[in-house]
Amino acid sequence: MGSLLRTSLLGLALAFAACGGDAGPGEGDAPLRVALLTAGPVSDAGWYAGAYEGLLAIRDSLGAEVSHQQTRTPAEFDEAFLAYGSSGYDLVFAHGFEYQDAAMRAGEQFPATTIVVSGGGRVAANVIPFIFELEEGSYLAGMLAAGMSESGTIGMVGGVEIPPVQGTFRAFEAGARAVDPDVEILEAFTGNWDDVAAAKEAAAAQLARGADVIIHNVDAASFGVFQAVREVVGMGRTAWALGMNRDQNDVAPDVILGSAVIRIPEAFLEVALALQARGLGGEPIYEGASEGVVDFVLNPALSSRVPPDLVGSMDAARERIRSGELAVPRVPFVETESGIR
Amino acid sequence: MPRPDRFRLGAGWVGAGAVAATGAVSALLLIVGGYDPFEAAGAALGGAFGSADAFLSVTLVRSIPLMLTGLAVAFAFRAGVWNIGAEGQLLAGAIAAAWVGLVGRALPAWLLLPMLLALAAFAGALWALVPALMKVRLGVGEVITTLLMSFVAIELTAFVVRGPLQEPRGVFPQTEAIAAGARLPALVPGTRLHLGVVLAVVAAVAVAWLFRQTKLGFRMRAVGASPEAARMAGKIDTGPVTLVAFLGSGALAGLAGGVQVAGVTYALYEGYSPGWGYTAIAVALLAALDPLWVLATALLFGALEAGAAAMQRDAGIPAVWAVAVQALLILAVLALDQMRRRANAGSAGV
Repeated sequence: MGSLLRTSLLGLALAFAACGGDAGPGEGDAPLRVALLTAGPVSDAGWYAGAYEGLLAIRDSLGAEVSHQQTRTPAEFDEAFLAYGSSGYDLVFAHGFEYQDAAMRAGEQFPATTIVVSGGGRVAANVIPFIFELEEGSYLAGMLAAGMSESGTIGMVGGVEIPPVQGTFRAFEAGARAVDPDVEILEAFTGNWDDVAAAKEAAAAQLARGADVIIHNVDAASFGVFQAVREVVGMGRTAWALGMNRDQNDVAPDVILGSAVIRIPEAFLEVALALQARGLGGEPIYEGASEGVVDFVLNPALSSRVPPDLVGSMDAARERIRSGELAVPRVPFVETESGIR
Repeated sequence: MPRPDRFRLGAGWVGAGAVAATGAVSALLLIVGGYDPFEAAGAALGGAFGSADAFLSVTLVRSIPLMLTGLAVAFAFRAGVWNIGAEGQLLAGAIAAAWVGLVGRALPAWLLLPMLLALAAFAGALWALVPALMKVRLGVGEVITTLLMSFVAIELTAFVVRGPLQEPRGVFPQTEAIAAGARLPALVPGTRLHLGVVLAVVAAVAVAWLFRQTKLGFRMRAVGASPEAARMAGKIDTGPVTLVAFLGSGALAGLAGGVQVAGVTYALYEGYSPGWGYTAIAVALLAALDPLWVLATALLFGALEAGAAAMQRDAGIPAVWAVAVQALLILAVLALDQMRRRANAGSAGV
């Protein structure tokens, strides 16, 4: 609904940025103060890096004063919120579900600070879950996987079996079955986000069982999946991998057909703009394909291998998802959705 | 073995030297990285000591788990037990504390909180019992066993937050928040400083008293100085003394885990400890294993951590750099401690 407003606000912000530094927004007012908390390094070229880029985009586009802290353990969460809340930050992005309890405590203590929890499940007037509907990109990935598979078997390698990950896999299955109702889909979880060897083993096992297109949701361990696919390709088989979370097409351009992506920086900037324009209003924020935040991008180096009519049906599905005509399966986890408070 | 009673002044000099050396090298690193060392130092000092709230709510709160685990390490090391698994014992305590805090909702606070802390200490001791028995009965070196038990505890934590203790919706790998009655009350109202700091100070005084005034403490120190001499000349049965050192150390580390759950996080998560149990070894060594000095060195490390976090927030210094500073401090401690020992050995003509 708000996508037109968002787009126009985005344009306005970019226009401001183009005006040059001296025409800073909100002249006379104190600048917007925005902080980011991450539970991992912003050098991960993925989930956290996207958030940091978003923070910098907010700084550059809105002239906001920004700050970042990487917390190592939950013991530091309250302290970080205290530091930002007591020094008057307007907006704190807590980039991970693990912050949600501390965010609720801090939200009560600092009503003037808005806390946005990526993947969070708890809601208060100034504590807002920030949900990326990556399922919508994953659905398109499933269509591509089923369309490209010659063996009729495709695989999914996940990290930890949490709802956001399950959601991407259920949508992947739905997309695959939309193209080929008889496709066989294998599923494996490694139990963590960084064990490259375990991810590689899981992918190799699926390849050995005949899978020839493999998608992952294992974050930093995804390299193991790509490597496993590369090895069977090196032995003369035809097999493909699909990227997830960010555009990974350049990570292994020889085997990755495309990636389901979240454009995290753009989403962050939109949230900051919305806060400035009208406040965020105690409701979860959903960012998906219709906002242009979630998408599936083909690898330009391999796109010639994808049949044009498959690309055509994926484009049609994307439009139907954007218009709301096609509802992609989602595993709900925000308390207002599941009805448990 | 350091003999803290004689070299307490030495310990102070080691601390000061470590801080100075770290400061110099850190400043150099910052300049190389293109950051302003004065801005960074200002942010760090402000974050650690800049206001009463920074000191009470951040620095002191961060020192508490280091005080208790530092005491745990000192307790074992003084008796010659190289327990480097305080990390695992802390996690065992944290798991027990979270369990008590969740299932004991119906109990009144005066019963629930002491029960939580007692069970946390008990769980820590239990975690130390396995390597203790392996050492006393089978002669298996505790350096390996205590360390391995830590890995088991890390995996056990990951399991319980996904299994038996997972929050009721079964969505996130964490526990529900513990009962209000299971939480440590604030020591200074309006700050995050909780009663755990009093526990840590009491524990430090108790351990100091035990070492200096009791027969058991004397035996522990004798065994720590030389097990053979203690056995032959002192007619001390080393087995029970070693067992006490293990269990006491485990209980203190377990208590640290309980205090963190009841005083800071109110819930259990995967990856719960940033390595308090390992930092504790540096804390204890810098204090020359003196229980009262442990309070001071833990405070130093707490201030360092608080300062590192503030450097990230207020001076834009990346997290990895802050971690590098901590590693530098630990290296400086070890180097200076070694130099001091060598100087002492030289002057004593040993």
